[in-house]
Amino acid sequence: MNPTGTALITALLLAATAALAALVFPAAWRARVVGTLVAGTGSSGVWAGAAALSGHGWDADLPRLLPLAGMRLAVDSLSGWFLLLIGAVAVAVGVYTIGYAGPGGRGAGSRPSLSLLPVFVGALLLVPAAGSVPTFLLGWELMAVTSLGLVATEHRHHAQVRSATVWYAAMTQAGFVTVLIGLTWLAAAAGTDFTAVRATAGVLSPAVKNAVFVLCLVGFAAKAGAVPLHPWLPRAHAEAPSHVSALMSAAMVKLGVYGLVRVGFDLLGGGPRWWWLTIAAIGALSALYGIMQAAVATDLKRLLAFSTSENIGLILLGVGFAGLYNVEGARGLAALAMAAALLHTLNHAGFKALLFLGAGSAVKATGTRDLDQLGGLSRRMPATTMLVAAGALGAAALPPGNGFVSEWLLLQSLLHQPGAGAVLAIAAPTAVAVIALTAGIGVATYVKAVGTGFLARPRRAAAAGATESPPSMIVAMIAVALACAVLAVLPTITLPAIGRIVASLHLVSPPLDGGLTAIQLSGYTTRFWPLWLAAAIVVVTGLVAVLARRFGRARRRAVAWDCGDGPLTSRMEYTATSFAEPLQRVFDDALAPERDVDVTHHEESAYHVQAIAYRQRIPDRIENRFYQPLLRAVERLGLAGRGLAPGVMHRYLAYMLTALIAVLLAGVIR
Amino acid sequence: MGLLRRILKNGRAAESAVPTDRAVPKAGDLGGSVQVRHVDAGSCNGCEIELGQAFSPVYDAERHGVRLVASPRHADVLTVTGPVTVNMAEPLRKTHAAMPEPRLVVAVGDCARDCGVFAGGHGVLGPVADVIPVDLHIAGCPPRPEQIVAVLRGLSGR
Repeated sequence: MNPTGTALITALLLAATAALAALVFPAAWRARVVGTLVAGTGSSGVWAGAAALSGHGWDADLPRLLPLAGMRLAVDSLSGWFLLLIGAVAVAVGVYTIGYAGPGGRGAGSRPSLSLLPVFVGALLLVPAAGSVPTFLLGWELMAVTSLGLVATEHRHHAQVRSATVWYAAMTQAGFVTVLIGLTWLAAAAGTDFTAVRATAGVLSPAVKNAVFVLCLVGFAAKAGAVPLHPWLPRAHAEAPSHVSALMSAAMVKLGVYGLVRVGFDLLGGGPRWWWLTIAAIGALSALYGIMQAAVATDLKRLLAFSTSENIGLILLGVGFAGLYNVEGARGLAALAMAAALLHTLNHAGFKALLFLGAGSAVKATGTRDLDQLGGLSRRMPATTMLVAAGALGAAALPPGNGFVSEWLLLQSLLHQPGAGAVLAIAAPTAVAVIALTAGIGVATYVKAVGTGFLARPRRAAAAGATESPPSMIVAMIAVALACAVLAVLPTITLPAIGRIVASLHLVSPPLDGGLTAIQLSGYTTRFWPLWLAAAIVVVTGLVAVLARRFGRARRRAVAWDCGDGPLTSRMEYTATSFAEPLQRVFDDALAPERDVDVTHHEESAYHVQAIAYRQRIPDRIENRFYQPLLRAVERLGLAGRGLAPGVMHRYLAYMLTALIAVLLAGVIR
Repeated sequence: MGLLRRILKNGRAAESAVPTDRAVPKAGDLGGSVQVRHVDAGSCNGCEIELGQAFSPVYDAERHGVRLVASPRHADVLTVTGPVTVNMAEPLRKTHAAMPEPRLVVAVGDCARDCGVFAGGHGVLGPVADVIPVDLHIAGCPPRPEQIVAVLRGLSGR
């Protein structure tokens, strides 16, 4: 067996062992054992991914493992990329779980939660490794069900957890059903094996291809959390325990992207222009809507969840434009856009895992996710604060963060569009504008998250009494931060692997070169030195600080300006709400916030105000406009359906008879 | 058209530029741009009205490079009016301490110099110079806007 296969099987076996260990070990040891084994699963996944990316493809038939269909695993370079990503996140999450779940054996450390976690990781690894339609669907459903169980971990403590679980269950299963129909249709037309599908995809009728694509797009976009199929995402990510949020946001939603690339580019071998335009449009909408909601969110994890929507949007923009360029014949740019999308999946996995783990650390210490009640954590939790700030730098897509590199590549692919055809001439500049706006609001969002959540003074006793998280959590976060740093300064180390993947997707190799420290677009003068840029920023900042101290005016210590009156209190600080207020005003029409101002007057005089209460809620508008009517309609339909079952035996017999006759007739006519 | 007609009918409302008070030493460090923070240390608000006039469109001190700012952190010059009351002494000190250097203090009006009619009154601590070092006085009860502008113009040197 080649290294890829060995590593993958090891990973799956370790995951199974961890699941059993969670059932066997006592509470005091459970988190430690399971965490270590999950980290082992992850590192085997990384190993498998790295082996696959270096050219060791692997496939295996396991005919007895599943009834009727059998299982088939096939790992190529595209699978390898996602195995690497999932494995890396799982390593960090495994180590983090040791401290996060703790020895108490409750909540995240409970037996069901800890035994589901390795199964979830195993399912995540199984999806990209699947080599046939039934295996893929098995992995997909296993992933959905285990993550559902993990989201529900704290369902006894908060009513919102139950509501989030119901939303997630409904949406993920609806998505699964569309993928199921789509892929089964594809399997019926072209065979269950991915190799068979690839071979016959060329002769499939366009109608079948279109139907399969649309069905898969709906399911995969729902899993990826793309707008307008996103309402589960802010709920599930916010209510799940943080190590699960990290796995879901960093790894699971990426599998939606994997599904789209696998089905759209690989299995169906590309398609007409409107497929890719639809993907790009969904991407643009997700990016804008996601970041707007993130900018005004006051719940730290909800903010991160909406930011996931935004980043998925950017990735989908890349995927969409890769397809679009391919159709238009600009094959080099298609490869570049795809490379940018793939690199952004990895970058986003890095910084979002770090941010969710950091948020988990803050939430565990303070018991609240509300940015308006946090603050002042930088004194009490310096390590967490530094690590969250590092993640925020990546997420804000500013150099020297890692998010910048992939967004830069994406922008390059859009800016160098060949100008052929009206569609591209309109779509590419629009996409550039969307990315620019997204990046701008993204900076404000992360300044808000770190500034109001971690800096300044604590606003509540819970934040004031926070203590730093246990070393295992910090170590896990440091590992992710280091990975992000490597991706930020040496993104070129991923380029050979990306080149191999892109070449395997019926595209040419991306037109990138420039050695280890520079990225250059072949044929253009555009060039970017991530390492030197990062070094320059550090050196210049250091130099300015040293020179200012050496040659500047003498320092004078003075109290912070408090308007000459009394000491400053935390009531005078910017809260997350007040910081986002100007942005919210700008996007008032798009966000449509609900405000309530209640003025209570004195009994004696209407001119004397006793109290003013101000309440503001920023609802998810797409949810209100689209999902609430849908839910009401389903409810009405359900109520109307009761009329069919009035409890009269004759009616039921008549139904059975009619059904029998219908089935017989259908058989005869056929 | 209504606006144009009114402009033609009213003619020029602004006073012509006040000549610089030559006696005031030009604050060379400020480079022609003077940011002013004002503190009312217990004044009857007569001086405030005149200060307001100095910055109004009629006298328009801003054309000489002088601006009122909202925080002592941004200010080069502190204008203080009134006798310093007990309650305002500490905020005045803090405001002065909060200003970056170089900084100048201008006491506006007679009360700021010697407490005027409030001298010895209940709650009056003393003149401004007893609380913080004063660089310039503008005399008058209240001083006319022209006097204020002349001094500020002298400071900015423009």
